[in-house]
Amino acid sequence: MAKNTRGIEVAEIIADKCIACQICIGECPVGAIELNAEGVAQVDPEVCVGCGKCFDSCPVNAVRFEKKKRRKISEPKPAEPGAKTVVHRGVAVFIETVEGRGAPVSWELTGKARELAKQLDAKVLGLVLGSEVGGVAEEAIRYGCDEVHVVDHPLLARYLSATFGKALSDLCAQVRPEILLIGATALGRDLAGVVATRLETGLTADCTGLYIEKETGLLLMTRPTFGGNIMATIFCQKQRPQMSSVRPRVFPMPAQEPQRKGIVTGHQFEPPAVELPEIVEFIPTGAEAAADIVHYPALVVAGRGACDHASLSLLEELAELVGGVVACSRPVVQAGLLPYERQVGQTGRTVAPRLYIGVGVSGAVQHLVAIQGAGKIVAINSDPNAPIFRVADAGIVGNYQEVVPELIAQLRQRKS
Amino acid sequence: MHFAVCIKQVPDTAEVKIDPETNTLVRAGVESMANPYDITALEEALRLKEKYGAKVTVLSMGPPQADSVLRQALSMGADDAVLLSDRAFAGADTLATSYTLSKAIETLGRVEPVDLVLCGKQAIDGDTAQTGPGIAARLALTQFTYVIEVQWIDLHKRRLQVRRKVEGGFEVILGPLPALLSVELELATPRRASLPMLINSFRAPVTVWNAETIGASAALVGIKGSPTWVKAIASPQVHRAGPRWDAAQGVRPAVTAALDTLFSDEDFAAGFLKGWKV
Ligand SMILES: Cc1cc2nc3c(=O)[nH]c(=O)nc-3n(C[C@H](O)[C@H](O)[C@H](O)COP(=O)(O)OP(=O)(O)OC[C@H]3O[C@@H](n4cnc5c(N)ncnc54)[C@H](O)[C@@H]3O)c2cc1C
Ligand SMILES: Cc1cc2nc3c(=O)[nH]c(=O)nc-3n(C[C@H](O)[C@H](O)[C@H](O)COP(=O)(O)OP(=O)(O)OC[C@H]3O[C@@H](n4cnc5c(N)ncnc54)[C@H](O)[C@@H]3O)c2cc1C
Repeated sequence: MAKNTRGIEVAEIIADKCIACQICIGECPVGAIELNAEGVAQVDPEVCVGCGKCFDSCPVNAVRFEKKKRRKISEPKPAEPGAKTVVHRGVAVFIETVEGRGAPVSWELTGKARELAKQLDAKVLGLVLGSEVGGVAEEAIRYGCDEVHVVDHPLLARYLSATFGKALSDLCAQVRPEILLIGATALGRDLAGVVATRLETGLTADCTGLYIEKETGLLLMTRPTFGGNIMATIFCQKQRPQMSSVRPRVFPMPAQEPQRKGIVTGHQFEPPAVELPEIVEFIPTGAEAAADIVHYPALVVAGRGACDHASLSLLEELAELVGGVVACSRPVVQAGLLPYERQVGQTGRTVAPRLYIGVGVSGAVQHLVAIQGAGKIVAINSDPNAPIFRVADAGIVGNYQEVVPELIAQLRQRKS
Repeated sequence: MHFAVCIKQVPDTAEVKIDPETNTLVRAGVESMANPYDITALEEALRLKEKYGAKVTVLSMGPPQADSVLRQALSMGADDAVLLSDRAFAGADTLATSYTLSKAIETLGRVEPVDLVLCGKQAIDGDTAQTGPGIAARLALTQFTYVIEVQWIDLHKRRLQVRRKVEGGFEVILGPLPALLSVELELATPRRASLPMLINSFRAPVTVWNAETIGASAALVGIKGSPTWVKAIASPQVHRAGPRWDAAQGVRPAVTAALDTLFSDEDFAAGFLKGWKV
């Protein structure tokens, strides 16, 4: 245990555990901690008063400190600004609409919301914004909402950050949900940041796991960070709603229940008092994107190990046989063999096919985070230690140029 | 006109990993750099400046070392650089970050009103894409995310028109200034600094502001102003580790065994045979 020249036992940072979240720097009452040039927190032993606040607040146990030697330092307790004075109840889902129907991600989240609501003994609330969206409200009940709150207004016919941002935050201020889930689509990500800021609450982005902590009833949100290399679990202690955005196809699609009953409530919309932008034109993307890889039930995914022009027709043959299409890892896009639209991964598409066949894909985390929802994963790789084998349901160690033709032959047999 | 570009210093995320044995971060040789999206935003600001005439101020919130990303921006042609550095800013989540940056933009605006704020679509470390919309909401700016082209700015009517990515295509949208853009990488390819600019940037002054300079409330910055907390970190989980067969022992039996394993799941077998129509 380190001591400083005044004999105080001081805290020390364990450099390889520190994630540079800077929480200790903010907590330290005497300003003894700084980020050093390596991006690691460092305690100045001569300034440290040995209070142990950094030890208590570190999320990753990167502070070495002897707890019993702790010194009390008097500090006025900060007042909690209006927290928990109003009751927030219910797990709300923002229902995104696409051409008059609910977006699939919204139903995936409704399914998840049911699970969370059950643990909290609360209701699932669907929040629908748009123009003439009565049908979506009915759909929301069939997918699992107990209550649907609708803001129906001509100004909400097309998405604008300003109108939707105000409508959704106003609605939350009225309905007061405990949790608000938003699909991390382009629209959802644009909207979520606005709403969280207006409601002055916490928002965790791109979550891949949502759980209720038994003891506290808090929502625990897991998400990839540092480009997918690290999973962080985040929570929102005081502010409400606890907000989370989730990418499409991370959670499974629930079944509709045609007989389900629920209550639909309409709400007024007060348009923002600012000049609104005007959408001049919408240009749909071409056929390339229409063949969106996320819609195929099976994917044959080419990695760097199968990245040559000559093999493409072999992979396409396999893909056709299994009722799918060829997708790829990032290096294959970088090599120019396939377009970006085909890329699976953290910076590409998140996919959930019934069957994923990785051919010469090593299984980097940035790739794996995007195939969590896949049904069966098959890996073909010449390296027995490739990380993809650790997530595969069945693996074949070998050269794909030998394995794939055999696979095609045997699958043909099974089909006939 | 006055443009403000927000630049975050980030670690090169490709290098940060967790050691599976010890569950600690491996950061050997991890270097800091400017968030690539933000350098694209700066490039666009500089091009707009060349076309319409404007002053470009770059802003970064971070520890004193973040000074280096601002010097990079100066070497590319930014006119002014402000570093927001204060222990009180440490540990900020996106709510506190957007508050701090908004207060700084307001402070800049008292000398010369800011017409356009440019951000990256997202930072490659935190990766939330929440800071830009947060700033726009706080300052009531017209918000344009995922911008891939700035088509024109009309100085008299105070309007701008951009092309942006949306689900299923692109949108051309027109709105009033002041506005905030969050930009995609394909918007512009950043220039390289010329040698004289590079040398000058080492001498150019970087203004440092703290919470007091920007009139920020202590309860709303840094960890105190952040509703979200990191509870724990871990390596990404890997669930299943199914059997594997070596083709060196014969390609045919390996493939047969693998397929037998898959087809032993009846739902899967039925799905495959019916073209996934079940
Ligand atoms: C911020 C960030 C975002 C990223 N986003 C993505 C993303 O969205 N998607 C993505 O895929 N990657 C992404 N990456 C890159 C990722 O880290 C990996 O580099 C990449 O996924 C590796 O691709 P790969 O598996 O095809 O290639 P490699 O890792 O090079 O693996 C090739 C594999 O092929 C095997 N092989 C070689 N020859 C044969 C053969 N004849 N037969 C069978 N097997 C063979 C090798 O054993 C090896 O395992 C990202 C990285 C960063 C830092
Ligand atoms: C493991 C981990 C997980 C985290 N998860 C969350 C989370 O889920 N929710 C949350 O609210 N916070 C989270 N944070 C905190 C978040 O990283 C910081 O708030 C950060 O300051 C801004 O968020 P970002 O990195 O996502 O940037 P983004 O919001 O992705 O950045 C968008 C743009 O905003 C501008 N910008 C952002 N930060 C700065 C800056 N410091 N200076 C200048 N310009 C800037 C840049 O132009 C940038 O391109 C997390 C942090 C860690 C370490």
